[in-house]
Amino acid sequence: MDCEKVRDRFSSLWEKELTPFHEKGIKEHLSSCPECQREFQQFEKTMRWLHSVGEVEVPDAFLPGLHKRMEERKRIRSTEKSRKGWFNFPLPLKLPVQAAAMVAIVFLVLYLTKMMPLGEYRPRETGQPPSSLSVGKKSEQVLAQKELERGRGTIKIPAEAPRPKDVEQAKALLPEEKKFEPTTPQAKAETKGAEAPSPKTELLALKKIESKEAAKAAAPSPEPGKIEKEWVVRRKSVAATKPPQEIVLKISDREKAISQLRELVKQFRGEIVITKENEFLASLPAGSFSEFNRRLVGVSSTGQADKVIMRKQTTGDLRPPQEAEKEAVGEKWREPEKVATDEESRIVVRILLVQE
Amino acid sequence: MKTSPRVQKEVIESCKAGDETAFTEIVLHSQKKVFNIAYRMLGNLEEAKDLAQEVFISVFESIKDLREEVKFDAWLTQITLNHCRNRWKYLKRRQYFNSDSLDDPVETEDGDVPRAVCDPSDNPEALYEKKMIEQLIQRGLQKLKEDQRELLVLRDLQGCSYEEMSGMLGLPEGTVKSKLHRARMDLKRVLERAGH
Repeated sequence: MDCEKVRDRFSSLWEKELTPFHEKGIKEHLSSCPECQREFQQFEKTMRWLHSVGEVEVPDAFLPGLHKRMEERKRIRSTEKSRKGWFNFPLPLKLPVQAAAMVAIVFLVLYLTKMMPLGEYRPRETGQPPSSLSVGKKSEQVLAQKELERGRGTIKIPAEAPRPKDVEQAKALLPEEKKFEPTTPQAKAETKGAEAPSPKTELLALKKIESKEAAKAAAPSPEPGKIEKEWVVRRKSVAATKPPQEIVLKISDREKAISQLRELVKQFRGEIVITKENEFLASLPAGSFSEFNRRLVGVSSTGQADKVIMRKQTTGDLRPPQEAEKEAVGEKWREPEKVATDEESRIVVRILLVQE
Repeated sequence: MKTSPRVQKEVIESCKAGDETAFTEIVLHSQKKVFNIAYRMLGNLEEAKDLAQEVFISVFESIKDLREEVKFDAWLTQITLNHCRNRWKYLKRRQYFNSDSLDDPVETEDGDVPRAVCDPSDNPEALYEKKMIEQLIQRGLQKLKEDQRELLVLRDLQGCSYEEMSGMLGLPEGTVKSKLHRARMDLKRVLERAGH
């Protein structure tokens, strides 16, 4: 038998796994081959030593040390969990939430990128103002509209840009007047009259109506301060609802009547806004209107003044035509803010001078 | 061949349910085996203790995945070997075994002792001789390849059957036998080179 083959079977021989035939053949070779015999002796010794190795005793503190280590591990994991709660979240729950968040982000980005430019360009494209305009911008637009109408000859407004409060007052007046447009033919006639001014025809179209507000204002008041406060509270609504007063004054001496009228207006802390040949547009404190009216009778040659409420379509119709003079305009616009605030509690009076 | 009674199925079931008392019972039952495998594989008591504790922590954490309770011992040995392989690589990377020589002092339970240069069989004191043999074998094992050491530890020190070894190592029994023989012959050569 070959030495190599015999040496390959040392383990089997030592473990007694060989068949008796093979065992006999190997033992015969070992007895005849001193080299293989020495090798087997060395192998046997190694195996004997290997199997003589006993078990090492476990250190005493093994189990307590294990428990301590487990406690530490638990504590560390609980801190990690509390610190990285989201990362320890179960994946089946985490994935849908992440997907939903991604979709939401995509929609948000699309919305921002698509909608924002449209919002910017829309006013430019359509020429319409955006709905969320400030009060100042609105007033500017109203002014621009008025400018346009003035260009057509229907409205006369000062060249200077009015203050926002002026514009508000104008706006307050507009809807009230618009109500009358479709129903009253007289107003239409008035409109025509305004375009081609003729005092007589205009006067014929007017009716005598006493304003309730004027009557209230004229009533004697024991506590003027209280009334003042009430006026402050209501001034906007009053200004919006009160129609302009129109008074026809019959005079004999025009120049004298005009000077008297101016003095009277000044006396009542009023202002002559616009002066035309025979027309005056004055702004008076509402409380002093009845007194002013009474005093105005003195100016008239006949001793009576006709007061009417004009039913007209626009504010422009209440005012003199475009070619009218602007005597008192400068005075008015010197203190525009003051006038603007006063006008809210004021009555606009249109005085027509009729030569006898 | 050393055989220990198997861990009872009920104890394993309780441990699966998270019962720490059952776990302690398992530890007390298997700690010697795990510790000895670890020590023979690593050759250091402290490292072996640390590794054995890690093994039991892994057992506690993953015992719920054990399907066949009857294979608990094989499963535990496999976990221990996996830990040993990882630890061996870790220590090797850190040059832990570089100074190893059969003439170096050997760490034992009784502390470091000088390496015997003569045949322990010549020593009259049997105990001392036994200690010397253990040290020589331990140093010889450290000189072998890791897979060879595993085979020797499992078969010659732990007394595993070829069938068990085949299952644990994922090798056919014939391969296990031939590899084991080669490991034994290599150990013989190592000891011969050391003068024994």
